Amino acid sequence: MSDYQLIIIGAGLSGLAAGIRAARFGKKTLIVDQHYRPGGLNSYYKFQGHLLETGLHAITNFAPPTRKKAPLNLLFRQLQLSRRDFPVREQLGSEIAFPAGSLHFANDPDLLQAEVERLFPACGEAFHQLRRAIAAHDPFASAPWRSARSFVASYLKEPLLENMLFLPLMLYGNAEENDMALSQFVIMFRAVFEEGLFRPEADMRAFLDLLVDQYEGFGGTIRYRAEVEKILIKNDRAYGIRLADGSSYTAEALLSTAGLPETIRISGWQTPSATYSGKMSFTETISLLPNAVRSSIRQDRTLIFYSSSDQFSYRRPQTLQDSSWGVICFPDNFEGIPHKEFFPIRVTNPASYPLWRALDSETYAQEKTACRRAAVQASERYTGPYGQAIVHQDSFTPLTIERFTRKAEGAVYGSPIKIPDGKTPWSNLFIAGTDQGYLGIVGSMLSGISIVNRHLLD
Amino acid sequence: MNRNEIRDVLLEIIADIDEEADFAALDDHKPLRDQLDLDSMDFLDIVMELRKRYKLQIPEDEYPELATLSSCVNYLEPKLRHI
Ligand SMILES: Cc1cc2nc3c(=O)[nH]c(=O)nc-3n(C[C@H](O)[C@H](O)[C@H](O)COP(=O)(O)OP(=O)(O)OC[C@H]3O[C@@H](n4cnc5c(N)ncnc54)[C@H](O)[C@@H]3O)c2cc1C
Repeated sequence: MSDYQLIIIGAGLSGLAAGIRAARFGKKTLIVDQHYRPGGLNSYYKFQGHLLETGLHAITNFAPPTRKKAPLNLLFRQLQLSRRDFPVREQLGSEIAFPAGSLHFANDPDLLQAEVERLFPACGEAFHQLRRAIAAHDPFASAPWRSARSFVASYLKEPLLENMLFLPLMLYGNAEENDMALSQFVIMFRAVFEEGLFRPEADMRAFLDLLVDQYEGFGGTIRYRAEVEKILIKNDRAYGIRLADGSSYTAEALLSTAGLPETIRISGWQTPSATYSGKMSFTETISLLPNAVRSSIRQDRTLIFYSSSDQFSYRRPQTLQDSSWGVICFPDNFEGIPHKEFFPIRVTNPASYPLWRALDSETYAQEKTACRRAAVQASERYTGPYGQAIVHQDSFTPLTIERFTRKAEGAVYGSPIKIPDGKTPWSNLFIAGTDQGYLGIVGSMLSGISIVNRHLLD
Repeated sequence: MNRNEIRDVLLEIIADIDEEADFAALDDHKPLRDQLDLDSMDFLDIVMELRKRYKLQIPEDEYPELATLSSCVNYLEPKLRHI
């Protein structure tokens, strides 16, 4: 007899969703995470008395509860959660800002259509055709990799518009450099432009509590500060885990959401780990500002995706941080979020993991400060001036992401090569989450759910 | 269980899966999935609930038997008679 029927490595969103599915149908399940709280990439921390969220800018795939086929509602049904227990707030509206002009979008796809027609009068019909092609494409059918860049170019034939559309979709969900798999592009286009963006009315902590309560309510067990050092393997099967504290647990099946490089390391999988290390990582600067400065800065935008050049290439920069493109997030600029004493602005920019890694600790601290200043300065062009008014400021680098989530090289979107069927060389060890293929908050949860449904409910 | 009881159990399971489900207009002889606008993943949950509650194993090639409410009742009647 094994200690558990299923052990899940990782209490991030994919691990929690997988755990709820398994426990709901009576599997004796254990979730372990090396961190002291749940959430993984999408967690929270206390900073100078303020609760700051680590991942969340905006959740994609907005849908009202009545749109049953929408991924968000399917997700809630699968976890037996009620949309009524999860009040949400829609974005005010967001913007893609390039030197040549800006496109405004919100949770109404007709707005983006009108904006494209305004800025690119010759492309209106082509953009409409592109949307139709995206609606007709099945991104879940197994098919060889296809270039999203050439697909979009074949419709629009307008590089500037193409760059403008790719910036938010790549920034919010692409593990590859330069190009994007067509299937991933289709998923992201629907998630961001057709469905839209929202956030929980409360904070990420409340959402994570809801998930953990549901999991424990179904009888699941969760252990924090439990770092898996080794997946125990005998012949063609995995039979348990050994933790860093020396204890071990056996299980009939295992599910790893730790990402491919980490799973390869702890399982002794004979495959080159570097192939599965993503190169895209980011720095983020979080500034807290007093309510009084609201009036001098942009108030009608939730997100501003910006590029200071009409050329845009999505790749690891040659410098610690590239402030010339990124995303600015106003976490309070959602419908009906009450104003508090302070409000945050977050600026996310591409960053180079190897360059940050090479610094000694003193230079690391200095460079962090310099990068914050650069990020704020670059963003002020779009937000209005706020650098002088900052009360508190914090930032993270690719090294921070790696330390807290074990995502190799701080690659938020994981491996450029995904494992869609979740299988490994061992018949009862599976992969879910970022490296299975679905990205983002809704995506990673659907990943956990679909892998459990497919392999682990029998 | 008799046919009515089985039908009630099915509605209860569906209501549990989908809080937005509207039973007022439900036609027992038309496909459930179309009428309730459900996904195949939801459909799997009906099977999983039946298994959880009555230890009933429904093989995948018999899922078509569960297409409509009345075909479900027909299929389940002999299996749940003694419960
Ligand atoms: C700055 C930032 C902003 C983001 N913004 C958004 C957004 O606005 N909207 C959106 O939808 N998505 C956003 N995302 C993406 C989203 O957070 C992720 O896609 C999602 O959370 C991934 O979940 P996951 O479960 O696959 O992985 P993870 O969250 O990485 O979970 C893996 C877990 O495994 C644990 N683990 C790893 N190795 C071990 C080990 N050896 N032993 C024990 N435990 C281990 C880790 O501690 C971690 O908790 C953002 C991410 C970042 C970093």
